[in-house]
Amino acid sequence: MRAVLSTPIIETVDLRKVFRSPRRQPGALGALRTLFTREYEERVAVSNVSVSIQPGELVGYIGPNGAGKSTTIKMLTGILVPTSGELRVAGVVPFEHRSQNARNIGVVFGQRSQLYWDLPLVESFELLRAIYTVPRDRYRRNLDEFVALLEMEDFLRTPVRQLSLGQRMRGDFAAALLHDPKIVYLDEPTIGLDVVAKEAIRAFIARINAERETTIVLTTHDLADVERLCRRIVLIDRGALIYDGDVERIKSEYGRYRTLVVHFAQPVASPSLTGAELVAHDGTTARLRFDRNRERADLLIRQASERYPVEDVSIEEPDLESIIRRIYREGYERQHEEAPT
Amino acid sequence: MLAAYAQYWRLNLLTLFEYRANSIMWFAFALVYHAVALGALYVTMHQFPSMNGWTFREMLLLYALWMTGHELHNALFFQVVGVPELVREGGFDRFLVRPLDTLFQVLIVPQQLLPDGLLLALVTLGIAMPFSGLRITPLLLFFVALVVAGGALIDLGISLAIATISFWVVRVDTLRWAVMSLEQDFTRYPISIYARGVRVVLAFILPFAFMNYFPATFLLSKQETGLGLNPVVGLLTPAIGVAWSAISYAFWRIGLRHYQGTGS
Repeated sequence: MRAVLSTPIIETVDLRKVFRSPRRQPGALGALRTLFTREYEERVAVSNVSVSIQPGELVGYIGPNGAGKSTTIKMLTGILVPTSGELRVAGVVPFEHRSQNARNIGVVFGQRSQLYWDLPLVESFELLRAIYTVPRDRYRRNLDEFVALLEMEDFLRTPVRQLSLGQRMRGDFAAALLHDPKIVYLDEPTIGLDVVAKEAIRAFIARINAERETTIVLTTHDLADVERLCRRIVLIDRGALIYDGDVERIKSEYGRYRTLVVHFAQPVASPSLTGAELVAHDGTTARLRFDRNRERADLLIRQASERYPVEDVSIEEPDLESIIRRIYREGYERQHEEAPT
Repeated sequence: MLAAYAQYWRLNLLTLFEYRANSIMWFAFALVYHAVALGALYVTMHQFPSMNGWTFREMLLLYALWMTGHELHNALFFQVVGVPELVREGGFDRFLVRPLDTLFQVLIVPQQLLPDGLLLALVTLGIAMPFSGLRITPLLLFFVALVVAGGALIDLGISLAIATISFWVVRVDTLRWAVMSLEQDFTRYPISIYARGVRVVLAFILPFAFMNYFPATFLLSKQETGLGLNPVVGLLTPAIGVAWSAISYAFWRIGLRHYQGTGS
């Protein structure tokens, strides 16, 4: 229970960010007039988020588009100054000590590379070594390790613009980690990658977290990333925190609907079972949803085989993706209260 | 910091080497741009041999002083002009998560390999000085160098201020365009030909007149008729440059605390 005893490495209390922008004025001199306007539009991007993360944790930070994920990450990294609330990362208030904070963190923006577009990959690493004043031997050791783990040997001397997205992404990971950051923020690190490249990146993230005990905050749309990597998720929607806890817990709380898939030996017209709801049917295959807190799977299966010529059955557990989709749609609190305890 | 600086420059040279054709095009552009401007000046002066007491030869000096300061700014600080675009595209975020000064990182991004615009300006200045009747002395060259440096800093102050505004207002193209045309159009002729309001702006608000008009008035021992000031104000150019860029830098530092990025 190391996590409980140590002090948090990332801690936010009521962290809030409101974007305030002048109401845009139309016309040729609009930009000039916009400068002097007194009308503002306000948009709450992050609303009183309190989170604390222990050293060595790997946390999935999840939310739909525009939920405030990126804004939170930008405050944690020191890019944006919070409107209010407290924030400490490795003992430092990021925006007040940007430089010091920068040495503690590594950042991968999946959609924006930090590599020099026109130059061989290794040149960007050399530059980062100088920027972070990484001692030669440590740099060598890290680079060798990353080249081996991420299989970069073949394209280390290729100009970045000629790399595939997967190769470039691997380069960006190495670039973010060369200075041994204590904390790494990964913003959509697997976006646009194919299955193989995704798995390579996920394996690398898991390994860095396990071996170097690097604290990792991962934002992603691909919940398979989270299922594969994170024990804990923080869910945010419309700027507000709606869930913070174990992936397993959210699955058991929300995953009360399972699906019974029944294959029939010959077509059956409108099959039905007591206690389950038919959700899809194409003659020989029926999908029936049931509440696992009310119905028992074995009894439903027996019921099905008594009524119909059943050839095969299987049970689908809800995946994280469908659970999260439901939470966004229906809200966390309401669901939570309704769920039988 | 020094090691980082050396590494940056190594990469810049490598990048620029990849784009030789682009560098050549930049040079051609600078050549044509200034040739057209000087041609227009010549044609104008052919019609009016003198403009408020200024001859074509003297106005060539006026142009050359502005051009050299402006091109020195372009050679050293041009990346500042690109900041609003970096902000809009989100690339600026990266500078804020690195342990180096933000402005340093902006200035070090690769630009032209050869300061060709500057070289062209120096040639023009080299012709304009004797052509306008100045006696070339070490003291004159020293003063002209200070004027040029001051001019570059005045330009920097303006680029930096516009860059900082982009931290609040994402699109500053119109403002940039307005200020640039103001600079280009109103530095060609002695400010005394313009309306009083324009003269005040050029002297005290956007002090382009200190890039060329005031120092040229002083050098050519002319009567300052624009605002009726003592021509000695021409000596203030370096101080104005330092003050302007220092104020803009302070503004920049404040701006970084209000940086909103693309607002996401």
